Amino acid sequence: MIIDQVLAASIALTTPILLAAMGGLVNRQGGIVNIALDAKMLAGAFVAVVVSSATGNWFAAILAAAFVGASVGLVFSLVITRAGANMIVAGLGLNVLVAGVLGFILNWFYDSSGTLRLQDVALLPHIFGDGVKDIPIVGLTLSRLDPLTIFAWLTVLCLPWALANTRAGLRVRATGNAPKVAHAMGISELRVQDGTTMFAGFFSGLAGAHLALASIGLFNEGLTAGRGFIALAAFYFGRDRPVTTALVCLLFGFLDATQIRMQTAGLPPKLIGTIPYLMVLVALCIAGWRNRRTKDQLA
Amino acid sequence: MSEVALPQRFRFAAWLERGFGLAFPFIVALVVASIILLAVGQNPVDTFTLMVQESFGSTRRISATLSAATPLLFTGVATAVCFRSGVFNVGVEGAFVIGGLCGAFIGFSLSASFGFSLIPLALLFAAICGALWLYIPGYLLARFDVDEVVSTLMLNFVALGITGYLVNGPLLSEISGNNVTPLVHEAAQLPRLLPPSTLHGGFLIGLVVLAAYGLWSTRTAYGFESALVGLNKRFSRAVGISIPRTIIAVMILSGIVAGIGGASHALGQLHRFADGFSPGYGFTGMAVALLGRNTAVGILLGAILFGALASAGTTVQLFSDIPLDIVNIIEGTVMIFAVVEIGRFALRRRRSK
Repeated sequence: MIIDQVLAASIALTTPILLAAMGGLVNRQGGIVNIALDAKMLAGAFVAVVVSSATGNWFAAILAAAFVGASVGLVFSLVITRAGANMIVAGLGLNVLVAGVLGFILNWFYDSSGTLRLQDVALLPHIFGDGVKDIPIVGLTLSRLDPLTIFAWLTVLCLPWALANTRAGLRVRATGNAPKVAHAMGISELRVQDGTTMFAGFFSGLAGAHLALASIGLFNEGLTAGRGFIALAAFYFGRDRPVTTALVCLLFGFLDATQIRMQTAGLPPKLIGTIPYLMVLVALCIAGWRNRRTKDQLA
Repeated sequence: MSEVALPQRFRFAAWLERGFGLAFPFIVALVVASIILLAVGQNPVDTFTLMVQESFGSTRRISATLSAATPLLFTGVATAVCFRSGVFNVGVEGAFVIGGLCGAFIGFSLSASFGFSLIPLALLFAAICGALWLYIPGYLLARFDVDEVVSTLMLNFVALGITGYLVNGPLLSEISGNNVTPLVHEAAQLPRLLPPSTLHGGFLIGLVVLAAYGLWSTRTAYGFESALVGLNKRFSRAVGISIPRTIIAVMILSGIVAGIGGASHALGQLHRFADGFSPGYGFTGMAVALLGRNTAVGILLGAILFGALASAGTTVQLFSDIPLDIVNIIEGTVMIFAVVEIGRFALRRRRSK
């Protein structure tokens, strides 16, 4: 029983991190480190709740969330690629700005500080329904599977192929790895980077929609709880490789799901929460150490 | 005649350009805020007038502004120290929080018989802990070329996790309930300068730190060398400046300043450490440093500006129903546009012709 529940919770908690990480990964392969994933998730979550309540249609809600995420991504990208802003500071600034705008809207239009509860919010459907619940171990997970989770994992399967074999994928990688070569080949780096940042925004918007509409059906200012940064940690740890990154996301989702259980076992949740970040530090150190060793050997 | 006038005109143009550079992000932010205010049917001019009144209108309001500016003096300097060397330290927030906890820890855990020596002891301990905290990413960057943006960003979350655990566990105050440490001894509290406002001695410490930074950055060889590293790494290496050593040095300096800042906030403002100790002072400090272009005077103006926004925001919400979030909108826009290269549009257009 416990295994069922932990598995189901892990899969559900992985989805938003995974979506955002896939977006951020493509973005980083294209040469932009996206610190503002969190902002786009938050915007996506808010729009998802509003649209879901207004239309009663979950699909319209996630589309709107993805669209808003991509639009914010485009603005963010233009500031970086066309106006020459530093991507880190602009990203941190965007996080502050989006939180401010959403807080303002909540306060002004909904007369609420922090939480938005609306009527008739349509949640994401469960694809297989309760019929599969009796399958051992994976039954509970399957019965709660939502379209966005399936979409996220399909993306994980498709991305390695798309990055390696499609025209767009190769252009993205060329832009990130060898901007001069890309330029010489006649690829417009700026346009490619705008594209990848919109892609990251699109996926972060979906991630936000999943956070809001998977089970709780409301928006809260602290809804993302830094998950955009966890996603950043995931693709840094996974070295921008989709499958590795997805496994790291799964591990982070598992940590998130077991936090409460570990708490009862005497492990403080706040310290468990730092594990993803510490893992990235360790991974960066190992990578740096390795690079240095190969450099020393060459020299 | 023209030979004399020319350099002067040049200097005037340079000043104008620099002044515009300082004002530009803020002007954009005000425009953005105005658009939002107009969209909801409020008069932006009235709102901004009210904000100015609420931040500078009376001695009490001014001291509230300076009180809100105090932590930003520290985080602004701590950020600028690294930025001017091209070290992208975004971990001031974490070092500030660590410094706050360490300062408060000395303030309540040592015997009250230490008297007023508690204050320097607490500041010293916080400075050491802040320095050690940022030594980690500094060392990793200098030795293993570990991207400092990511490492310091991650360390911020680690700092929040560790301090959050400590104030909810081992260091939890037994009498006052949740998420706070015990109060520091009375002797360890920094004196209030203008009661009843919360302006405290930490503001003076901040001014001293700022002045020290100004002298260090413009009048000492080390300060010059570290700026050179930021301007041109290859040239610096060629003239014999050790880049790894400079990176570690500016990280440590940044940690010291952020640590002292955290401790003074704990000893002067809250008189303890609490969960949610910093509402993003480290990140606002980044905006301050960027807006002030890493100069001491610029940082002072930037800190007062953001302090004014913070202190006015609260009362404006009370008087005119305009949500406090307008402050975040302005701050975020300033951050984004502080790093936009203004000249670039014009330059590119000329080049394409």
